[in-house]
Amino acid sequence: MKSTTNKINLNNVCKKFISDPENMHPVLGDVSLQIEENEFVVLLGRSGCGKTTLLNIVAGLEIATSGKVQVDGIDVTGPGRGKGMVFQQGALFPWLNAEQNIQFAARKQGLNAEQSKELSQKLLLLVGLAGAEKKYPFELSGGMQQRVAIARALALDPQILLMDEPFGALDELTRIEMQNELLRVWSLKQKTVVFVTHSIWEGLMLADRIIVLAPRPGRIVLEKKIDRQRPRKRSDPMLIELYEEIWTSLQ
Amino acid sequence: MNNKIKSWLIPFIVLTVFLLSWELASFLGFLRPTRFPAPSKLWMSFLDLTFSGYPADVTIDQHLLKTIERIIIGFLLSVSLSVPLGLLIGGFHVLDRLTSTIIAFCRSIATLSLLPLAIVWFGTGEQAKIFLIAYGCFWVMLSNVIEAVKQVDPVMMKAAKTMDTDGLELFLKVVLPSASPRIFAGMRISLGVGFMVIVGAEMIGTVIGLGSLIMEARTFYRTDITMVGMLILGMMGFLLTTGLAWLERKLMPWQQQEHNRSSV
Amino acid sequence: MVREKTNAMATTRAQSFKRMNDSHFHSISKRINLYGLMGILMLLLVWELSARWIWQDIQVLPSPIQCMDMAWQVLTAQELLMHIATSLSRILIGFTFAAVIGVGLGIAVGWYQYLGLAFKPILELLRPIPPLAWIPMAIVWFGLGEPSKWFVIFLGSFFPIFTNAWRGMVGIPPVILRAAQTMDVKGIELLLKVAIPAALPDIATGLRVAFGLAFGILVAAELIASDSGLGYLIMQSRETSRLGVAIFGILLIGFLSMLADDILARLLKKFVGRGRY
Repeated sequence: MKSTTNKINLNNVCKKFISDPENMHPVLGDVSLQIEENEFVVLLGRSGCGKTTLLNIVAGLEIATSGKVQVDGIDVTGPGRGKGMVFQQGALFPWLNAEQNIQFAARKQGLNAEQSKELSQKLLLLVGLAGAEKKYPFELSGGMQQRVAIARALALDPQILLMDEPFGALDELTRIEMQNELLRVWSLKQKTVVFVTHSIWEGLMLADRIIVLAPRPGRIVLEKKIDRQRPRKRSDPMLIELYEEIWTSLQ
Repeated sequence: MNNKIKSWLIPFIVLTVFLLSWELASFLGFLRPTRFPAPSKLWMSFLDLTFSGYPADVTIDQHLLKTIERIIIGFLLSVSLSVPLGLLIGGFHVLDRLTSTIIAFCRSIATLSLLPLAIVWFGTGEQAKIFLIAYGCFWVMLSNVIEAVKQVDPVMMKAAKTMDTDGLELFLKVVLPSASPRIFAGMRISLGVGFMVIVGAEMIGTVIGLGSLIMEARTFYRTDITMVGMLILGMMGFLLTTGLAWLERKLMPWQQQEHNRSSV
Repeated sequence: MVREKTNAMATTRAQSFKRMNDSHFHSISKRINLYGLMGILMLLLVWELSARWIWQDIQVLPSPIQCMDMAWQVLTAQELLMHIATSLSRILIGFTFAAVIGVGLGIAVGWYQYLGLAFKPILELLRPIPPLAWIPMAIVWFGLGEPSKWFVIFLGSFFPIFTNAWRGMVGIPPVILRAAQTMDVKGIELLLKVAIPAALPDIATGLRVAFGLAFGILVAAELIASDSGLGYLIMQSRETSRLGVAIFGILLIGFLSMLADDILARLLKKFVGRGRY
């Protein structure tokens, strides 16, 4: 069910470093991108290509030097307000246990104590962590922590879900498991997702659309729609072809 | 460029404003000279102390050197005992378990509470002060040396053993070097402890030394001298911590040590 | 990830270093084990025997039993309790002041950078001055009564508390603050609900360190310039027939400070320890 108005709208977005007044190396130079509702978009590129900066700009954690940034037609001026985010690691509040972390977000949504508790239980069940409510982050494995992080972001009932290399700190096997988990959760809780990664395969497994960025200046060099049902297979020839194409564009 | 100048300029301005308002308040009579001598008076007293001395012709550098002398002797004494002992205890698990409670307890005995005891045993002379400093430094050093030995990476030890290194050679060539940074850090802290202890120890039964200076001066209402003494102590403390941290970085650049700014 | 693993060793080492030297003692309950007790008993035995057979001079080193005997004869329970109460009250008052002001200021300076610029220079000037060096000044300003003792303990406790609170605030991982911001948390709410809880472990460390220091400072201050309290008791008892009392007093202080630190550690653990971060 696609809507015609864009969920996220980026027009000629530029970002410069303050210490770079002559604009020799803008972090982002004239990036334009439109993302539709419930679309799963992956931003892919090497370190330093500006993908995280772009994500932060959409989130409102950073301000673009120039250009228009809108979510749901409204200019983005700051973080929060329906822009949920999942970071690579360490963003769970260590002094709260799993369900308290989620309840924190729920309370911010205006739910009372009882409702928050209920929501946190539902979400923990959704991400496959029923029974781990009382565990503190330090007691959870990396994969489990990220599940809680995702649940917490979902507790905000966000308009969009922004994910900054959320599985980057996990080992390979857990990473693949989490990718599948994410897809499962996403199928149940339709949201617009912008996912940053430097792993081509991760992008191919997850995305409706892959946006490849290159650095100096940060810009889009390739945009590919992936019209394949999920879950996808690594052996799929179309994906392998796409892989080659993306790999080449990154050189 | 801008930030560097700022980080230096703003404290400078703040301090200048502070000193000037202090001076002004003193000048206008808001502050009693015996309670809050003016900065200018402090400067004069400092010069006085440097050239004429107080009390009885003991100049400030003599006080300073005496204090430092006591710290160093006490410190060296404690190091010569604590390092061998600590290496021994750290190396043998049984010894560690036997002694850990004792050490923990002895560390918690306030060093200066032993002053009366020290006076009974050693009289009011130098030995009592040096004993106190040695005592204070000893337990800190001991704990750190023990931990230093215990913390040697077992993987490294295993690797060394596969290279036919064992016994004394293992100890000298692997354990000692890898424990050194921690031991040095312990030295830094223990010197800090010694510094704290000496100030108190000098307040009883002596007329030379910074601690005694500031105490004596108060008895004669020379608050200005007390303040000068305090500032010199402060400077000494500062140089001690920064100097030793610098030394540590220079001697052991491969270790990323937590600068223990948070405690003593 | 690789960087994480190689840093893990260094981190645990740094952590243990910090833990040991930041708190002068581990809680007494952790330290008491069978071997440890054996060790203490051995020590007491050595002391007892050497005092009786080697020195044989009650004026120089009374044996443990002789100490207890002297203390029993000379001190009344009332007198002892009064001294203990005086000393403890001084520590508590000085420490509480330091805790409130130190934590408050540390948080403020750590959160609002501009405050830091104004306060830090003066604090950095005063910080390296050893706490005991303030005793003469305290007497000048407050006389020989209780306030001067409170002041000295306050000063000695303040700096570790302040520095740790400030460091705790400054050391908050930015990702935590950013995560909170994405949840619409800002301003004072960000400070109270996210920043301060994140900084609590460091704040707690500062409190423990300061408390341990406070005992040492108190005793010294009482030795030098007081007419009541445990430090005074020890000083006064150095006359030869009462040396045992002094030793008794010294050990009592050591024991009390270990006990107090243990209680404080437990209290702090209740409020801070849950997440163990």
